[in-house]
Order: sequence, then C-alpha cells, then structure tokens
Amino acid sequence: MTEVQLKVENKMGIHARPASLFVQKAKSFQSKIQLAFNGKSVDAKSILAVMTLGAKNGAEVTITADGPDEAEAIAGIKELIESRFGEE
Amino acid sequence: MPRVLYGKGVIAGVAIGQIMIVGQALDEYLEDYSKGSAEEEKAKVEPAVALVTEAIEKSVADLNAQGMEEQAAIMEAHAMLVQDPMFIEAMLSKAEEMGNAPAAVLEAAKETAALFEMMDDDYMRERAADIRDIGKRVAKAILGVKDPELGDKKVILCGHEIEPSVIANIPTESIAGVILGQGSTTCHAVIIAKARAIPTVVGLGDGIDKIPDDAYTAIDGEAGEIIINPADDVLAGLEEKIRIQKEQEVRYASLKDLPAVTKDGVSVHLAANIGLPEDAKAAAAYGNEGVGLFRSEFVFMGREDIPNEEDQFKYYKEAIEACNGKLCVIRTMDIGGDKPLAYLEIPHEDNPFLGFRAVRISLQRKDLFLPQLKAILRAGVYGKAAIMVPMVINAAEIKQIKAMVAEAMAELDSEGKEYSKDVQVGIMIETPAAAVMTPLLAKYVDFFSIGTNDLVQYTLAVDRVNHNVSYLYNHFNPAVLHLINTTIKAANDNGIWAGMCGEMASDPYAAVILTAMGIDELSMSAPSIPKVKEKIRSINISDAKKYLAEILAMDDGDEIREYLHRVIDEK
Repeated sequence: MTEVQLKVENKMGIHARPASLFVQKAKSFQSKIQLAFNGKSVDAKSILAVMTLGAKNGAEVTITADGPDEAEAIAGIKELIESRFGEE
Repeated sequence: MPRVLYGKGVIAGVAIGQIMIVGQALDEYLEDYSKGSAEEEKAKVEPAVALVTEAIEKSVADLNAQGMEEQAAIMEAHAMLVQDPMFIEAMLSKAEEMGNAPAAVLEAAKETAALFEMMDDDYMRERAADIRDIGKRVAKAILGVKDPELGDKKVILCGHEIEPSVIANIPTESIAGVILGQGSTTCHAVIIAKARAIPTVVGLGDGIDKIPDDAYTAIDGEAGEIIINPADDVLAGLEEKIRIQKEQEVRYASLKDLPAVTKDGVSVHLAANIGLPEDAKAAAAYGNEGVGLFRSEFVFMGREDIPNEEDQFKYYKEAIEACNGKLCVIRTMDIGGDKPLAYLEIPHEDNPFLGFRAVRISLQRKDLFLPQLKAILRAGVYGKAAIMVPMVINAAEIKQIKAMVAEAMAELDSEGKEYSKDVQVGIMIETPAAAVMTPLLAKYVDFFSIGTNDLVQYTLAVDRVNHNVSYLYNHFNPAVLHLINTTIKAANDNGIWAGMCGEMASDPYAAVILTAMGIDELSMSAPSIPKVKEKIRSINISDAKKYLAEILAMDDGDEIREYLHRVIDEK
C-alpha cells in the first residue's frame, strides 16, 4: 500500500470539473484507491463519493492506493492535484 | 383566448413556437409495470445503465462534433455519474429490497440527490437535478419509454425542472425558447440555453402548470413575459421584434472595437463589472475597456477561514492581467450580516443593511483587510489596479483606509515583496452621506465610483425586492439625480475621476445624462456595453446638456424617465 498527503490548492477544490478529472485519473489505474479527508475515506473512483466528500480549497487530503500499479497511481494523482487541475 | 403569464427573464430575446412539456411523469408507466422476482429485477439494472451510458456517450460525441464543448462536458459528467460505483450499488440494493427495478432506480436517485440538496453550496445543490435526470433515464430504459419525437417544428420547452439531457439531445434549431418553473439561473438547463442564446424565462413556480401542451406561444426572454395563443397583432409585433433583434446583434458586433464617444467628441470609458477573474476575459467579446468593478466577494465566500494574501494575490493578478493594461478596479470586501460567513463572527442583526458590513468590518478586522490590501498592491505590478472601498460615509473612514494602505505598503517593504506604488485608492459613493459630502471628500481620494443600487435604496428608503414599495425605486428620482450630479461635479472640480458601477450605468438613457454631467467611466455587466455605446455614439453633448438642464428642474422621477425616452429617441 502506498500513501501520500496533499494539500488541495486549486480554487474550486476537488469539486465540479476537478472532481471529474480526479475520478478519471483514478479510474485509469487498476489499484484500489481511497481518498480521505476530514476523517472520512471514500472510493476515489466514485464521482458521487468524491463530490460529496467536500474537499475544498485548502483541504488536507490523504490518498492511498493498493494494487499492482499503486506507485504510478499515487504519482499520477499527486501530479494532478499539484498542477491544480490545470486551472489557470 | 390569449393569456399572459410572467416569470423572470434570464436570457433575452423573443421566441415563438409550440409548447412542448418536458420532464414527463413516469407514474402511469410505473403503474402498468409488471415486475418479476427480486433477482430478475436486480438483473435489469446493469443492462439499463449500459444502454443509458451508450446513449450519453453518443450525445457527447455529437455535441463535440458540433463544437458545443460546454454541453459535451455536462453530458460527460452524466456519463460518469450513471456508471458511478456508489450509485450503481445504491440502485442494486434498492432493486433487491423493493423488488421493482424502475421504482428502485428512481428511489436510489432521489436519495442520492437528497445528499446533494443538503449541501451548503449552490453548485452542489444543482447537481441533485443531474442525478434525478440520470435516474429517470435509467428508469425509462427499464420501462421502455421513448423520448418525445420532435418533427421539424420549433418548440418552446416547458417544465418545472428540465433535465439537461433533454435540452442537450434536441438540436438547437428546433428549440425556440425555454420556460422553467424553478428559479435558479445557474442550473445546467439555463447554462446550456445561454450557450445557445435561447430566450429563457424561469421562476414561474406552479404557474407553469397553467401552460397547456402544444399551445402556440410567444415568450420574451427580457421582460419575462409568456403569451399563450397570442392575437395576430401581438404576434406581428413580436415578429418585428425578432427581426430588430437580429439586426441589432449585427450592429452590436460591429461596434466592438469602436470608442464610446459622442458625435461631438466627448468620450466615456465603458468598463465591465465582474465577479470572477475569468469574467474579465469573457468581457473582451463586448469591447470593454478594463474593469470598473471586480467584486472580491467570491474570494471570501464558500470557505471556512479567512482567505490569505497569497490566494487573493493570484486571483487579483489574473483579473488585472486580463485587463490588458487598462484599469482594473478591485472592490474590497462588501459583505455583511445578510450573507453571514462563519469566520466573520457577525452576530445576528435585525437590520443588516444598516449594520456591521463592508468597510465597517474591514476597518475593525485588520486580519481581513491588510492581507486584501497587500494582495491588491502586489498584483498591481502586473498592470493597472485600483482599490475601491464600499459603504464609506465620512472622511474619518477614508483617513483610516489610507493609514491601512500605508501600513500594508510598510509591511510589504519590510517583507521585501514587490508591489505597485501607483495603485489608486477610491471610494464607492453609495450612501447619501458620502454623496452630499463629495466636495470635501474628493481631496482624499483618487476617484469616486457611484454604486447606484445602494444609493437609490438608501436615498429613497426603498427595498427594491419588496413588491409593495418597489414602484418607488427609480434611478431617475430627482433626489438621486441631484446626489449623482453633486458627486460628478465634485470629482471634476477636484481633478479626480468619477465613475458609476451600479445598474443605472447600463441604462442607455441614463448614460446620456451621466455623460452630460461629466462622468468619466461607466461600468456594467459586459453584455450591456454595446447598447450603451451605441446610444453615446448617437448623441451630441450639446443636446445632452440641454436635457440635463431640463431634468434637473423637474420634480418627478417617472416624468423624467418619460421625458428622456421621448427627447433622446426623437433625435
């Protein structure tokens, strides 16, 4: 299992369009991926679960991946969040 | 018999067509549905999801092929929602529990939508409609219900809430207009209609049930008027309006790069009011010259703590850069007890519009105001910026504001951060107290910007949303006009500039009079710029000054409005 803690710094948070990008990214990996925020952990491949988690701008989130491509999954998601989902 | 109903016009334009009631109820189909065993019902869910997914993916491809990317993105989100593991799980377990697949799917969608409806965020609340839409499509797939067939007739879509998938799946040329019972202007159906410039009226509430299916109907998306079975003469008038509308669009587009200058050479800057940095980019399509009001509220809303200097700096920099070297006027926080934010800790107020708000909070809360001032000063390096403070009533406040600006600069100096020393500092004139005192206040500031929405409200003691008194709300009320005239004259006499950023600035007849008073800048929502520019370019300042002299001697706001429309239109 691989884990990383990140701060969500894009304006919208993991919400709306960024949430779709986040889930698309998670779905591109085979590993089971969880997104945790505020003491709650959800399936990172569920758009509903991710949107209802409410990780806004400034949220400290934890991503865990478990499976054959867990290292790539963590790296890919980390890059997406750090790139602020491509928001300008 | 013609009948007229009224809603809120949200997308301007006139449309004529046949009503098509959408969002049909599935009750009858559900009653006739013969269900199988719990196992059989559960097994129906996933094939239906696959069918709906396929249909959605097809519309995404069609929309992308037509270059309608915004709508394609909305439908893409639907494709993800329908395949969502959490949603599928909810549908399956409901199907097993209820033993009725279509009813279970609708129930699962309803419960999931309820989760979204409870959220404290407009965007998320509106996703509830998307989820119900998807649930309904899956239920329809199980029930074998087809979507209504459209011939080649033009229709006006009508429903309490119209599912985005319904609008997205009908070709633009078939939709003349949209009527919604619900009142939101940010729901997906309205966003799609806006992207396609389809005239739209919302907020009819239950009144929408009075509109019969198939009725020949005209709607006016500006006035919010819905005319069912219009008489021939009304229809002819509306058709003429559509023709004028089309001509106007062409004319407005041709004005985009021309200056707002009277025939005899007096020019006015036409700037845009924006709420988000990206609006400044969108405004360029209407030929704005900079931003006269950037409402910084969005920086403060929808969050649990005070926005820090860095965050604010990024937003302000983005807006300033989008102004391409023209002035970007950033209004400091304008929030009060009517929009409570937890971290502001404002106790309940009986009268928030006369309470602890805007500059009154900023001056007591250095932890809020200093980071905002520092962020604007720093962002000023990337173009031309101005700080505008709302709700000021006296000179003492201005002195305190200037001391805070000096303190912000001193902090930036000691932190070694780069900032602009040329950022202008001005105030909004939106209280009668400030307007009356402008001849004395002018020496402390770089500009005045008149906020007419509040100035009218405070001067006339009229709450414009109160139906019993809204008839009194008129920006041509002589008391308001004299305060505005005093303000502009004070600015001109003291060598500072005067602008306006309230709704009055987007009234072309008011713009003529304000130009005659000597205003330097009018700031408005960007789509209003062409109509104001066209009017200014059609007048002579010598005529406008005559009208001004006339109206300053008149004592009735309604008469002033009628007079201006008459004399200006005659020209």
